[in-house]
Amino acid sequence: MYGGDEVSAIVIDLGSHTCKAGYAGEDAPKAVFPSVVGSIDQMDVDDMTSNEKNAAVDSKNNVKDSEKGKGKRKLFVGSQALGFRRDHMEVLSSFKDGIVADWDIVDSIWDHAFRECLLIDPKEHPMLLAEPSSNSQQQRERTAELMFEKYNTPALFLAKNAVLTSFASGRATSLVVDSGGGSTTIAPVHDGYVIQKAVAFSPIGGELLTDCLMKSLESKGVMIKPRYSFKRKEIQPGVFQTVDLDFTNTTESYRLYSQRVIASDIKECVCRAPDTPYDESSYSNIPMTPYELPDGQTIEIGADRFKIPDILFNPSLVQTILGMDNFVEIAPSVRGLPQMVIESINKCDVDIRRELFSSILLAGGTASMQQLKERLEKDLLEESPQAARVKVLASGNATERRFSVWIGGSILASLGSFQQMWFSKSEYEEHGASYVQRKCP
Amino acid sequence: MAMAFKMATTGMWVTDECKNSFHEMKWRKVHRYIVFKIDEKSRLVTVDKVGGPGEGYDDLAASLPDDDCRYAVFDFDFVTVDNCRKSKIFFIAWAPTASRIRAKMLYATSKDGLRRVLEGIHYELQATDPTEMGFDLIRDRAK
Repeated sequence: MYGGDEVSAIVIDLGSHTCKAGYAGEDAPKAVFPSVVGSIDQMDVDDMTSNEKNAAVDSKNNVKDSEKGKGKRKLFVGSQALGFRRDHMEVLSSFKDGIVADWDIVDSIWDHAFRECLLIDPKEHPMLLAEPSSNSQQQRERTAELMFEKYNTPALFLAKNAVLTSFASGRATSLVVDSGGGSTTIAPVHDGYVIQKAVAFSPIGGELLTDCLMKSLESKGVMIKPRYSFKRKEIQPGVFQTVDLDFTNTTESYRLYSQRVIASDIKECVCRAPDTPYDESSYSNIPMTPYELPDGQTIEIGADRFKIPDILFNPSLVQTILGMDNFVEIAPSVRGLPQMVIESINKCDVDIRRELFSSILLAGGTASMQQLKERLEKDLLEESPQAARVKVLASGNATERRFSVWIGGSILASLGSFQQMWFSKSEYEEHGASYVQRKCP
Repeated sequence: MAMAFKMATTGMWVTDECKNSFHEMKWRKVHRYIVFKIDEKSRLVTVDKVGGPGEGYDDLAASLPDDDCRYAVFDFDFVTVDNCRKSKIFFIAWAPTASRIRAKMLYATSKDGLRRVLEGIHYELQATDPTEMGFDLIRDRAK
């Protein structure tokens, strides 16, 4: 048993869009940065003339060499390192369909969190990691191996996202609707256990909504200029001049990443879930909302303010947006939020369905969308069995809603009664990585 | 072993006072309700308040704080349609929205420990505001 009460634990919630990291016991994560990384194949870099200039920048930012497959690649982690445009830098994600696919990237993200953001030595702190509810045994063992072998952490605990959200709202039993960047997961929790067979998953998350908004704006002739592609300076007080810059070696994925940063800000500023299902005709006369792009151009957003969030409720709307072709193939199998909630509850034991209907919890960045709670509650009231008392709960505080998983982990790891739960390094050495299944159910 | 279960059973101690009060309520009918609270420092679950047999459900609702969590048990006496006198015991996990997340976490992870000691509970409720533990709900469930 690990008796680590004296040293503060580190809590990490690595989501598909952002990584949240900080010290246990605090009420918000210290570091929040993108879960995507920039990557340059070393072959390319060697050919470049600007190599020396790059090296100077690299020493300031976080750069990691990683060996993978055939060649070496350089990884750039963190908002700052990603914000700087580099020739041939691709933007990569470690996630595929809600679970980790590239461990090299995960490793570089953890390393960045420990050494650049929190400035701690992982050897000295127990680690509590939040994990997707549907994480496989193989994934969990891999996590334990990396943490104990590479970082030499004294103790580890893996907690399921849904369970943390549920506990943080004072409930051992609830239905957690976690809508994040890359996906939406609906997980019933009963007495602190995730009911695996009833977990529902959909690839619709904040990023898809951002892409839809971007494509929809493009079809109306609005092009979002990435921040790196122009210089803007004040030539006279109050008068700005924008000069386009041309970088031919910028990768497509980096251009997209930079555009998404802007589009997602537009989304967060203007979008709200409509009270009733979206239809083209009744929203055609909606008042326009202005938004000023970084290059100074002001755009007006009308029906998209409501149409984009409604995709969560009615995924087939994606098909009406030009340029979202790659989504169309999977669209028919994807259901809207209310249907997913009802299906998930119906897969649970009859005895607990009533209780699940009356404690639906919202978590994640996308679920923090304005009016989403009200709309979900209304749709569920119409579609649920009559005897059910539908209640959707969400923290009134935006930070708490966005970071509910991290906050849950932070408090859990700081409770006195939790300290006996840690999976210690000596237990790992004695029983091996598979012991994580026993220690962290 | 479920995380919450282990934390509750080995991390918290339920005092004898809790067990005794519950027995008195169940067998001798001297209490209408009991409110329990957790003392985080000493890791003890203790009795916060007991309600006399003359008190009602509203008195219980009134004795739960707005900004902190509690557990409560309530003995609900009623007469069925075919004139049978019955009694059902409810367990309520009270976690109001305004309470601190730390308290919510503590109470949610420690519930099983108390629940296991209290034998003979018929129904369980979780509530974050008074509407979720309304008297109508109690009546509905007991039917």
